[in-house]
Amino acid sequence: MSQFIQSLVDALSAGAVLGLAALAIGLVFGVIRLANFATGEIITGAGYALVLTWDLGWYVAIPLSILVAVILSLLMELAVFSRMRKAGPATLLIASFGVSFLLQRVYELIFGNNVRSAPVASNLSQSVEVAGIRLQLLSVTAIVLSAILLVLLQLFLTRTTLGLQLQAAAADFTTARLVGIPASRVIGLSFVLSGVLAAAVAFVLTTQSGAVGPTFGVRITVLALVGAVIGGIDKISGALAGGFLVGFASSMLETWLPQGVGNFRDAFVYVLVIVVLLLKPSGLLVRGRGAVRT
Amino acid sequence: MSTPSIIKRSLGYRLAPGWSLVSLLLLVFAAVAVNSLFGKSNQIAMQYALVDLIIVVALQMFIGTSGVLSFGHVAFVAVGAWTVGLLTIDPTLKHSLLPNLFPFLYDIGSPWILAVFIGGIVGGVLALVVSPALMRLNGLQAGIATFALLGLVNQVLTYWSSIGPESGQSMVGIPDVLNVWMTMLFAMGAIVVAWLFQRTRPARLLRAAREDGTASAASGINVVTQRIITFTASGVIAGVAGGLFALTNRVVQASQLSIDLTFVTLAMLVLGGMLSLSGAVVGTLVFALVDLILVKLQAGMTIAAHTLQIPQGTRPIVLGLILVLMLIFRSKGITGGREFVWPFRKNQLPGVPVSND
Repeated sequence: MSQFIQSLVDALSAGAVLGLAALAIGLVFGVIRLANFATGEIITGAGYALVLTWDLGWYVAIPLSILVAVILSLLMELAVFSRMRKAGPATLLIASFGVSFLLQRVYELIFGNNVRSAPVASNLSQSVEVAGIRLQLLSVTAIVLSAILLVLLQLFLTRTTLGLQLQAAAADFTTARLVGIPASRVIGLSFVLSGVLAAAVAFVLTTQSGAVGPTFGVRITVLALVGAVIGGIDKISGALAGGFLVGFASSMLETWLPQGVGNFRDAFVYVLVIVVLLLKPSGLLVRGRGAVRT
Repeated sequence: MSTPSIIKRSLGYRLAPGWSLVSLLLLVFAAVAVNSLFGKSNQIAMQYALVDLIIVVALQMFIGTSGVLSFGHVAFVAVGAWTVGLLTIDPTLKHSLLPNLFPFLYDIGSPWILAVFIGGIVGGVLALVVSPALMRLNGLQAGIATFALLGLVNQVLTYWSSIGPESGQSMVGIPDVLNVWMTMLFAMGAIVVAWLFQRTRPARLLRAAREDGTASAASGINVVTQRIITFTASGVIAGVAGGLFALTNRVVQASQLSIDLTFVTLAMLVLGGMLSLSGAVVGTLVFALVDLILVKLQAGMTIAAHTLQIPQGTRPIVLGLILVLMLIFRSKGITGGREFVWPFRKNQLPGVPVSND
């Protein structure tokens, strides 16, 4: 029983982190229909910032990593995606693939192929005992961190003008522009928020592994992208829920699949994805078959 | 809209499609011939480029014709490579290197040419099996679902030691039988097949559906069926390419046949232009040429007593930049989605419309 609860907490934390990553992708997609594969490289960039500056103290490293993530995110938008406003989602996805590949190679050139490591927030890697159940402190932290970010994001999106504008733009970009919502500001904002979320993901991942390499962010981004699409990338809540589901399922499969089959956990996740896409092409949280915005 | 009869009767009009095929074959031949003057190491690079060419032709056949994105073709390449590996590795070697195979896999084997074609069939069968599900999806959903297929196949090949090496290891001992000229013949064969395919009914119907989904559905085109046919056919070609990859590289590992290869081949297709077969061929050859020059530059190239050298690691960066810049500034690629025609007019082939979106 206690093992089950333990795995449940781990799965919740994996789901929470993946949910954040999917949200980072979904926020941008809602506004400009870009499923940004290069979100992974924002995570990697923030991870490098954390690992390389951790010696200077967390109060330097953490703000710096957020700054790096936001700058990278905005830079991508300004240099590449802002020039491709007329392209369809498929073309934009390929372009983001290109940006991702490009940045990975840049990281390779700057930081080398080997991982850089530092004991980021190493006191979080202990476990604590609550009511006879041993819990990874990091898992608990990830859940709490995600919850705080989600509440803040929710408050921002529903209580501020900018947030409401972003929501409107995500729901229907053309109409939002027609009623006078400044497009460039909203797009920029979505990239900034996406960068902040990516930095949070980077913090958890870096604490988990303590090491960052050029392809650090790739696996989580693949899963987050997949999660966002099966949840319904068109809706912000859909992306979040889908990401959570994929992370939760992947973590549970890892713990409970019998020895030898456990290696195939990602394969099971991919099968799940294909099945969901067939049953609900526009996403789990979207009612009916729904019109797919393409 | 009927074609004016004067154009219909003119020789150029009737020869134009054939010319596009001949010119592509000549282009490939010229590339290989020129390359062969520059020594052995360049020939190996050319051989890899030709394998890439076949993959890109397969990609174009599906993506270009249907307008649906696929990240999944490298999965067919991977199973083709696996098939050729299992069929051509020496039996005694197989016993010692791949200890956990299904017993029947130790007994089978075939000459390499046959193995390559069997690889194509295996790729095609996989495509056929998954296509009824995948071909119902469009746009981003199709991209993600085919991506999931790639991930799925990759995981299975990486970890399932009953059909390959121990988890994550590579399959070695594939015989050294293929040379650049034979690879060229396969590449030409793939181009001919793709060219012939462009003129078949499924390809025409699918192009119609690509240009206007609603109108084509109203005309009674069953898009899913046509996509299944096209996907399967392109899966066969991708499988053949996988077999040739195995014989060229002589070591196959699942991680080589995954996201990176998908990215590179898509980049080649985007560079040339997705909507035409000429785009697939030109894109691959130009990409390969640029790549070769960058490799030389990284090693240091001497031109008229000056040694030019660029830092290690710049090569993939330049290649990535080319893709991104191409997408930004000329998203239809070098050929702009047109086929080569004769005489060199800026018109288009019958049946291969250039979309204006």
